[in-house]
Amino acid sequence: MSGEALVVGVGMTPFRGFREDASLRDMAAEAARAALRDAGTGPEHIDLAVIAYESDHFNRQVSLGQILLETAGMAGKPVLRVEGGGATGALAVQAAAGAVAAGRVRSALALGAETNGRGVDRPTAVEILAMSADLEWETPVFGTFAAPYALMIKEHMRRYGTTPDQFARIAVKNRRAALHNPLAHKGMSLTVPEVRNSPPLAGPYRLYDASPLSDGAAAAVLACEEWARSHSATFDRRPPVAVRGMGCASDHPRLADRPTEMFPHFAAKRRAARRAFREAGIDDPARQIDVAEVYDSFSGAELQAYEDLGLCGEGEGGRAAGEGRFELGGPLPVNPSGGLLGRGSAVGATGIAQVVEVVSQLRGEVEGERAVAGARIGMTDAHAGVGSLCAVNVFGRAA
Amino acid sequence: MRVLSFTQDMNSPPGDRAPAFLEWEASQRYRHAVGSNGPFFRGLAEGRLRASRCAECGTCWFPPSPFCRKDLRPSQWRDLPGTGRIISAAVVHSPPPFGGIQAPYVLAAIRLDGAEGGITHRVAGEEAPRHGTPVRARFGAPEGEAHPLLGLFFEVAAEAAAGPPAPEGEGNK
Repeated sequence: MSGEALVVGVGMTPFRGFREDASLRDMAAEAARAALRDAGTGPEHIDLAVIAYESDHFNRQVSLGQILLETAGMAGKPVLRVEGGGATGALAVQAAAGAVAAGRVRSALALGAETNGRGVDRPTAVEILAMSADLEWETPVFGTFAAPYALMIKEHMRRYGTTPDQFARIAVKNRRAALHNPLAHKGMSLTVPEVRNSPPLAGPYRLYDASPLSDGAAAAVLACEEWARSHSATFDRRPPVAVRGMGCASDHPRLADRPTEMFPHFAAKRRAARRAFREAGIDDPARQIDVAEVYDSFSGAELQAYEDLGLCGEGEGGRAAGEGRFELGGPLPVNPSGGLLGRGSAVGATGIAQVVEVVSQLRGEVEGERAVAGARIGMTDAHAGVGSLCAVNVFGRAA
Repeated sequence: MRVLSFTQDMNSPPGDRAPAFLEWEASQRYRHAVGSNGPFFRGLAEGRLRASRCAECGTCWFPPSPFCRKDLRPSQWRDLPGTGRIISAAVVHSPPPFGGIQAPYVLAAIRLDGAEGGITHRVAGEEAPRHGTPVRARFGAPEGEAHPLLGLFFEVAAEAAAGPPAPEGEGNK
């Protein structure tokens, strides 16, 4: 990157199963206000908005960008909408940070919102989400994303001896962390047997291995340092956090087209991470990263991601999960927010909610059980489908 | 869009954000052009699994594509033998949205012989076959209004139907 983009403000709504008191635009406004307030600035000072939402099908409002922009007090400003499935929010952060780093704008708001909760009934929601598989070749035979995730993790089990108890432990870990996050959708005190005995979805996956569908919104203000010094009243009150690296990559969109040797792995995640880490000057992520928000749409997907992000060796994800290597209190806590499993997922907002958590951790603002003391480098990881597109972002606290 | 109801609590204090819901329904009907895939579906109805082969480099692609995915040169149709091997298979407990498959059913990622790429599709039977199990394509008329792809399914090739299936809930290295 030519210049540096700072994250000068973050904010989000609570993620909930159904925000019956708020519309999608209400939530977007709440998140935008929270991020702008956190940045100590006003909408008039923001040069660009990048709006993140995955699906028009949940809310039915097409061309939502301008509406959310107006709701956030920014009518008249340039706006674009980005979409990349589960990585949508992460891509919005990349677009906003990229525009700042390139010097095209001095400040940008990444704003994501989605109503994945109970605005439509569950079968309709599952059907809409299944439409992000290949509608011509996959969706007609899948029915649910649990199916392709199950195929991937079964091959991981066969090849590496990974067990369902190991990934069930991730479901336990993330839902427990969410108990301490007031913004989380689904904090739960579960045990591994409770996960294993929940209703079957596909293959080894059970209900509690899957992340819930949420309503929510999240926002981040990206800016150059010069803008921050003159327009962010909160800038010098806390350690500045910068975007240190960004990576994005795609994979064969259809699962069965991927090379057999890579079948249980997210190849795009590896490529995205490699790029982001190179930009950030990270050559040993397991040692250099202090806190990570990882895309745990399914418990086993987090286990696979440990390997593809280089947080452990190939094939070691199961053992690492089983021994609690990435739990709170350890050297590299993963998903202290609760992740998708615990905090929940409102797709377009999810990748930005990850940034809210990482930035809050790097500033030392998270208190109690979830606090990752002294964290200096944090990362976010999000993907679309079963890894058809992945986006990895690295953040660092200034010295 | 058809409005079904509007409900609000008239007893809540004015100005209070008491839950109020507009319920409406939308259903869309699509006439989705299958375009370049037409000959594939024609083949399916004739009991043939068709792929596309690059006229220039000879690479055979499944699913088919009008242009080679490597060099973007035009491709020609070619029948695949319809055989392949299981990469991974699982029992799925929720039915696909297009109907025509009852849950639970077995879904598998299959590496197809004779083509780059593969297919994720249903396999006959109640248990998930192991990695590496040979399978072959079978063809039948999809039930009722089901998606034409559901006229296709796979079954474990007779000569290989040996060995117990992999258990769902355990690592089986």
